[in-house]
Amino acid sequence: MQRDVGSFPLAPGLRAKLIGAGFQTAQELLEIGPCELSKEIGISKEEALETLQIVRRECNSNATKTAGDPEAVGKCTALELLAQEQAQGFIITFCSALDDILGGGVQLTKITEICGAPGVGKTQLCMQLAVDVQIPECFGGLAGEAVFIDTEGSFMVDRVVDIATACVQHCQLIAETHQEEDFQKSLETFSFESILSHIYYFRCHDYTELLAQIYLLPDFLSEHSKVRLVIVDGIAFPFRHDFEDLSLRTRLLNGLAQQLISIANAHKLAVVLTNQMTTRIGQSQSMLVPALGESWGHAATIRLIFHWDNKQRLATLYKSPSQKESTVPFHITPHGFRDVHPPPPSQTPAEVEINPRKRPRIEGDKQ
Amino acid sequence: MDWDQFDMNPKVIAALKKANIKSIKEILNLSGADLQRLTKLSSMDVQCLLKTVSGTLRKSCVLTALQLYQDKDHCTSQHQKLSLGCSVLDSLLRGGIPLVGITELAGESSAGKTQISLQLCLSVQYPYEYGGLESGAVYICTEDVFPNKRLQQLIDQQHTFRADVPLDVIQKIKFGNSIFIEHAADLDTFYNCIAKRITLLLLRGVVRLVVIDSMAALFRCEFGAKDSVMKARYLQTFGAKLHSLSSRFRTPILCINQVTDAMDEMDVVQSNFGLLDKKVSPALGLTWSNQLLMRLMASRITQSEQAPGGALQHSGSVLRTLSVVFAPHLPPSFCCYAVNLEGVKGVKVKTPL
Repeated sequence: MQRDVGSFPLAPGLRAKLIGAGFQTAQELLEIGPCELSKEIGISKEEALETLQIVRRECNSNATKTAGDPEAVGKCTALELLAQEQAQGFIITFCSALDDILGGGVQLTKITEICGAPGVGKTQLCMQLAVDVQIPECFGGLAGEAVFIDTEGSFMVDRVVDIATACVQHCQLIAETHQEEDFQKSLETFSFESILSHIYYFRCHDYTELLAQIYLLPDFLSEHSKVRLVIVDGIAFPFRHDFEDLSLRTRLLNGLAQQLISIANAHKLAVVLTNQMTTRIGQSQSMLVPALGESWGHAATIRLIFHWDNKQRLATLYKSPSQKESTVPFHITPHGFRDVHPPPPSQTPAEVEINPRKRPRIEGDKQ
Repeated sequence: MDWDQFDMNPKVIAALKKANIKSIKEILNLSGADLQRLTKLSSMDVQCLLKTVSGTLRKSCVLTALQLYQDKDHCTSQHQKLSLGCSVLDSLLRGGIPLVGITELAGESSAGKTQISLQLCLSVQYPYEYGGLESGAVYICTEDVFPNKRLQQLIDQQHTFRADVPLDVIQKIKFGNSIFIEHAADLDTFYNCIAKRITLLLLRGVVRLVVIDSMAALFRCEFGAKDSVMKARYLQTFGAKLHSLSSRFRTPILCINQVTDAMDEMDVVQSNFGLLDKKVSPALGLTWSNQLLMRLMASRITQSEQAPGGALQHSGSVLRTLSVVFAPHLPPSFCCYAVNLEGVKGVKVKTPL
């Protein structure tokens, strides 16, 4: 970035003008826009833009050379992929039953969609994940950061503080029982303030803002390379009103999904979306299905459906490439998202059998 | 949209003008490939164009959660809530009604919904340090006439009800002058009301609370069972409009909703949100529930449910409960309250139901 202006492949006249105007390093040139530059040194806008493009390209090519060859990512064998995926780790949910059915937690480089009626706990899980992704590596976490894109205005910072404090306490308890040095060391910097300062919050008021935000996301993520989780809470709200043209909606949503997948792959992060439920009226009975239509169903790799059974909250893994379909109960406590029976995970299958109403519901959904 | 202001290659700007693209929305509605075809630009240029217009649209940059948490400015802070004017009820709601979002208050008739909303219309007028927003309220009636007499009664009793506020502060506030009352009996009038008249009031800054009493009355008479698609569309439009007003002006929206008897078991499971012990569920169905930030439920405790010794009987008046059905920051919980001459007061009961 500190490269001398004179060393760039520019026309000699232009170079003289740049140096005459006081530009010495590439950094200074990159900080200003083409309009400004054209005024500053008295060249046309087009020339200014081309100059800046040349400088940028040169700088970028330098950067990539040092970062490693980008061409090598293009192809790899399934074995390499498997090794990569296993090395990535997961974002745990703090509900071990849910982690189990997801195969360890929320997967990186995949899109996970959470669907459910209002109040069943979608936003709670999102906030929990935004905290959990930051657990230090020595505790089995990812030590990452989170991006939270809020379209509904339901991100309540007080609640995040509750969850973050509980998570820090949990880690402190582990550290006390194990007394290892690196635990203590990582806990020094792991406080609820540090958790909060690594959740990047974007509020989008309508779908154009959401689309714009997704276009800007790759640049933001290259600046914040530790981000391991992007949450969009909720994807459905901006797309479910004032859309006369449903084919436009489908097209925009598919485009959005495609961008999210490429972001997830390029930056090795997990994307979590929440979706509303809607009533589909059938021949004999109506049932609840995720909103945004049939084609949106293909967007997410993993789909979780949250629902109620009497007073018990249940999570059903509805679509997953690697795990079998199953249902587990979960609780939302003052500390966050938790298991129904905290210690023994072996009890959960029995728990599932007790709920008789759950079976017909799932079969109904499959039709 | 004046494209010349954008920091883009003149070639790109010329292409945009030639393709007759007029707004940022139009650009974002097109896919990258479509844009390339329409403007005949290279894919690099299109990428650059998309990023530039996105950057212009998203001026408000990133906030971290810590910034949100430490924000003490009452114009932007999330901690600022609208108090109900009673410490017991406020502690149930962790400070009061959140400023951004639609809050629903559902309940049977005579559960005390209107009483709570009248009280909010008064408490919004108090200064910030007493939990208010220093502004007026607008009250949209869709079924009944506005309970003016009761409002006068409440205003007269404010000095006994708000003992925490110094008398001279209360005397300075002209409560009746800043409550605006709108009547809207059908859907189109209602839409005009929220889209034009309420927006105007909010723009002038004379109101910081919108109460809609009640949402369900608008829909109950006009739609039969077969018009459910139309009904859903109206609900979504209203929800979106109210949402945008709420977040643009940081104004809480309180919607009063009626309840319906839960018909069958399936119905209960799907729409009662874990409240199986209640025999009723809020009206307007799932579409409306999806629009809400939080839902509160008011209900009366019937005589038979009260403790035999009359432990829950509170100084002659009927005891009612206010419960949180769902909210992103509150656990499902409830507290009891009573409606007295001077207003709605929470009651601390040692033995919950």
